[in-house]
Amino acid sequence: MSKIKKISLTEEELVLGLRNREKVAVEALYDNYSSSLYGVIFRIVNDTAIAEDVLQETFVKIWQSFTSYSVDKGRLFTWMVNIARNLSIDKVRSKDFRNQNKNQELENTVNLIDEQNSTVYKPELLGIKDLVKTLRPEQKSILDLVYFKGYTHVEAADELGIPLGTVKTRLRMAIQELRKHFN
Amino acid sequence: MEEVKAYIESGILELYVLGEVSHEEGLQVEAMAAQHPAIRAELAEIERSMELFAGEHEIEPSPAIRDRILNSMLTNLADDNTFRTKAQPVAEAPVISMHAPKNTNFYKYAFAACLALLLLSTVALYNVYNRLQESNGQVVALSTQNQRMTKTVSLQSEQLDVFRGDYKLFKLPGTGKTPKASMMVAWSPVKKNVIINMADLNLPVNDAEHQYQLWAIVDGKPVDLGVFDAKLDSATMMKIMKSVDKPQAFAVTLEKKGGSINPTMANLTVIKTI
Repeated sequence: MSKIKKISLTEEELVLGLRNREKVAVEALYDNYSSSLYGVIFRIVNDTAIAEDVLQETFVKIWQSFTSYSVDKGRLFTWMVNIARNLSIDKVRSKDFRNQNKNQELENTVNLIDEQNSTVYKPELLGIKDLVKTLRPEQKSILDLVYFKGYTHVEAADELGIPLGTVKTRLRMAIQELRKHFN
Repeated sequence: MEEVKAYIESGILELYVLGEVSHEEGLQVEAMAAQHPAIRAELAEIERSMELFAGEHEIEPSPAIRDRILNSMLTNLADDNTFRTKAQPVAEAPVISMHAPKNTNFYKYAFAACLALLLLSTVALYNVYNRLQESNGQVVALSTQNQRMTKTVSLQSEQLDVFRGDYKLFKLPGTGKTPKASMMVAWSPVKKNVIINMADLNLPVNDAEHQYQLWAIVDGKPVDLGVFDAKLDSATMMKIMKSVDKPQAFAVTLEKKGGSINPTMANLTVIKTI
């Protein structure tokens, strides 16, 4: 939705600011990346309160371990989204989270089901339809599993009943399609 | 270049971007990227695509948590010794009201309630004490009445015995100075009891210094059986006197108050020989 960022800093400026522990850099970091990271986190944990907690943990961890990031290793977002995904997956696989899902209250379940089956127009999902048209179903499902469901590519192979090599190929194809789409 | 192309097409770069490689594989990818600009370019493309892909799926988090998260990061920043900004990050500490006035109010009310209770209790206690005193008085009155009643009942049962046949009745006629005097004496040969009928007493009224004394003559000697008064309005119907065995006669003399050891024969009022 908000492709226009709230505080505009180039990635280089941002990284430099964060290295210097500047407050404005922290704010810029949040404004630039919170929505993208939250989108990934929310799709993995599927719960607003937990997703917000994980988002907080993600930013704190990014902030605390920022010295271990280097530009040589790749884009800032890649590094950050992997932190977010790992924390989300840890959360989903934690005992608490699984127990919580087992012990859903009845009335909550009604809401949950409503939310899950919601056909309400969600502005944040705008544009995805085009993307879905671009991707073939098997490419979409592999991306969904790995990127948004927190599966490792080995688990995805099990889930889809296809060899590891095929998973890698499909993943590559899917990302190739994305590249074409974004170009 | 074939080697590089094969490496790119193996799909490892995508897995690397997705964080799906082991530490060793990661180092290898980084080494390859450092060596081959083509791999570096490919990696950058993949990363850019994934970032845009994530951007397509972005969800704006609730604006409320922006401050929460920034605060938790900046709290961290303040703790950090490497903190370099000159402007102090003002982490707005959430001020939570402790409801202190509410507490004092509670104690105030509690104290007032205690005082009120104490007052009420005192009044109630005073009332209860009064009623207890009243009840005690009633108990004393009742037990006195009860004693009187018991006495009356035992006397009356004694009196009833007179009419049950054990007793012999003697009418003592007047003699000497009082020829018109008379009285009834009942004597039980079985129980040896002596009872005089006060209701049927017909003796001159005695003054305060004198009393009538009843005597029995046993083996020719007078035996004291007790004293009594002759009044106009006698409350008791009968009076139980001292017991005597085998009396030969009953006699009454007027004696000084309390009675005498020997009867004053000059004052003999009534006499009856059995």
